[in-house]
Amino acid sequence: MKNVIEVKNLIKEYKNIKAVDGISLEVKKGEILGLLGPNGSGKSTTINCILSLLNFEKGTIQIFGKPMAPNAYDIKREIGVVFQDVAVFEELTVEENIDYFCGLYINDKRLRKQYIEEAIELVSLNEFKKFYPKQLSGGLLRRLNIACGIAHKPKLIFLDEPTVAVDPQSRNNILDGIEKLRENGATIVYTTHYMEEVEILCDRVIILDKGKVIANGTPDELKELANMEEKVNVEVDSITEKQLEEIKKLKNVDEIYYHNQNLTVIYKKGKNNLITLIDYFKKESILYDKIYSERPTLNDVFLELTGKELRD
Amino acid sequence: MTVFKAYLKILNKNKFLVILYTVILIFFAGFNMQNNDTGTSFMAEKPDVLIVNENETDNVTKNFIQYIEKHTTIKEVQETEEARNDALFYRDVNYIIYIPKDFKNSFLEGKKLNVEIKSTGDYQASLAEMLVNRYFNVANIYRNVIKDEETLLEMINTTLEKEVFIEVTSKLDIEKFAKATLFYNFANYSILAGCVFIICFMVSSFKEQKVKLRIMVSSIEYKKFNRQLLFSNSLFAIVLWLCYVILSIILVGDVMFTNQGMFLILNSFIFTISALTLALLIGNLVHNKEAMSGIVNVIALGSSFLCGAFVPTEFLPDFVLKIAHVLPSYYYIHNNDLIASLETINLETVKPIFLNMGILLFFGFMFVVMTNIITKKRNR
Repeated sequence: MKNVIEVKNLIKEYKNIKAVDGISLEVKKGEILGLLGPNGSGKSTTINCILSLLNFEKGTIQIFGKPMAPNAYDIKREIGVVFQDVAVFEELTVEENIDYFCGLYINDKRLRKQYIEEAIELVSLNEFKKFYPKQLSGGLLRRLNIACGIAHKPKLIFLDEPTVAVDPQSRNNILDGIEKLRENGATIVYTTHYMEEVEILCDRVIILDKGKVIANGTPDELKELANMEEKVNVEVDSITEKQLEEIKKLKNVDEIYYHNQNLTVIYKKGKNNLITLIDYFKKESILYDKIYSERPTLNDVFLELTGKELRD
Repeated sequence: MTVFKAYLKILNKNKFLVILYTVILIFFAGFNMQNNDTGTSFMAEKPDVLIVNENETDNVTKNFIQYIEKHTTIKEVQETEEARNDALFYRDVNYIIYIPKDFKNSFLEGKKLNVEIKSTGDYQASLAEMLVNRYFNVANIYRNVIKDEETLLEMINTTLEKEVFIEVTSKLDIEKFAKATLFYNFANYSILAGCVFIICFMVSSFKEQKVKLRIMVSSIEYKKFNRQLLFSNSLFAIVLWLCYVILSIILVGDVMFTNQGMFLILNSFIFTISALTLALLIGNLVHNKEAMSGIVNVIALGSSFLCGAFVPTEFLPDFVLKIAHVLPSYYYIHNNDLIASLETINLETVKPIFLNMGILLFFGFMFVVMTNIITKKRNR
């Protein structure tokens, strides 16, 4: 599969502080790449360098096999960007806004009209065509923001936290829209804080921290890095220190955490761990309200790799 | 022309505001023009003169008094000197003439003619003094060659009664042109306020940081985008200027098609360029739409007051005019005043006008340079 983006040894400094420290990454045609990392990890700086919005000290950036530069307008024609902040004209309606931003790429009036209709359809804003941004809710505004960024049918799309602070309905709508874009053959670079979204959408994930790539792979491959098999969470009425010590000695148990009647038991390997734990509770007559088991998440991966949570 | 079309759409969405603003400015311009006294005719008021005659009423004295009486209002003689001084102090009289006892003899003997006077020192007193001097000058000329008293007085009277007929040959309708000058002086506020308000609003819309980022990542060349925006703003400024020119033609008619009228139009065009560049500079500096009306008031109203758009510069204190020298409006309004006093057109008379136009263009150039520096710094 061809690489749509190729970044090699990218270094970007702000007054001798490396915001991006030798990042190398590739994005293959048709894939959705998730860029994960806490605030200040270098996600936005990397994207801004790729888009030539920022100069950088070292490294090379190629898009569609050509070097990216501020005046590489033939490359830019094939790129769509949805910024985290809503960027539209307050004085123009939904339709006029999309028309203006699409018009920056497409001159043909008829083609543009068709594309605008399709973009409105994609983000389900048909009923709001004649509305002004001030009349739209936060979720609808985000959808308009996306429509403005992708109306010209780009082959490569950058989505920077498109679902921040939106209602569940709009969020689902946005995620459906992104799926449709992938079906249409677009390559997508997706940055977010929401691990669930990454797990649902992304073919591959790159985790950044302090300007460096600390993990790169499919969500399943990354979960392997978490160095655990299973995590069981239990809400218990009360439990003694002695009982906690005994749980720690149960088969396959690696670590336990107990805080405010919430017990978390981490297993490194093995099967039927949950049944073993429930049996112990019955034997000791420990009362519990809720008990559930979960596989490691990308946050656990991040915790394992950096010792801190993604949202720290 | 995507940017231009969006510009028109945004302008169209704000048409109510634009029209309201323009109508108010035009209304005030018209109101200002109609209510200012632009009259060019005048009537001289006769000075109040008191004559204290210590001489007998001989023919020579009588003739002098008759001449003064003819051109002034003679007040009754006060009995005491104190009463006369009071009359002078309270402006009951402007001028007191003391005719000495030996007035006739001095006159006929060829001595230097003189009378004592007291004056309030005002305009009317000067007029009275001028009359006295005129009489004595003429009398002195004839006295040396004519010895017969009767012939001498007759010659003096004949000469003093002669009038010179002066015809104003200017083809310019002075009254209408004065109105045009007032209108164009007020246009300083209208054009500046219109340009700064609308252009700043548009620039801040298009160059709002988030929108700007979208443009920078798009396939449109940023220079091309800037060119389209500049074209749109320039077109707006020209349309605004044309509106004022057309309005001036409607209000004062064919005066605007004279050389002086054309100079007024040219001067306002040069000023519009300067206002456009100033608006672009402010638009690139300030992106807060809520602050726009405040900025308009400070810049347009402030410079109009300082530079004499509302009050003639003659009435402004010197220190205000010194401050005004750093503003383009000063050179625009000063030019309007120069054009208003332009009787003949030659290199000598139009040189200061073109010099002021050059200064206005220099201001425009400086604003463009400053805008470029700011834009480059921000883009870094």
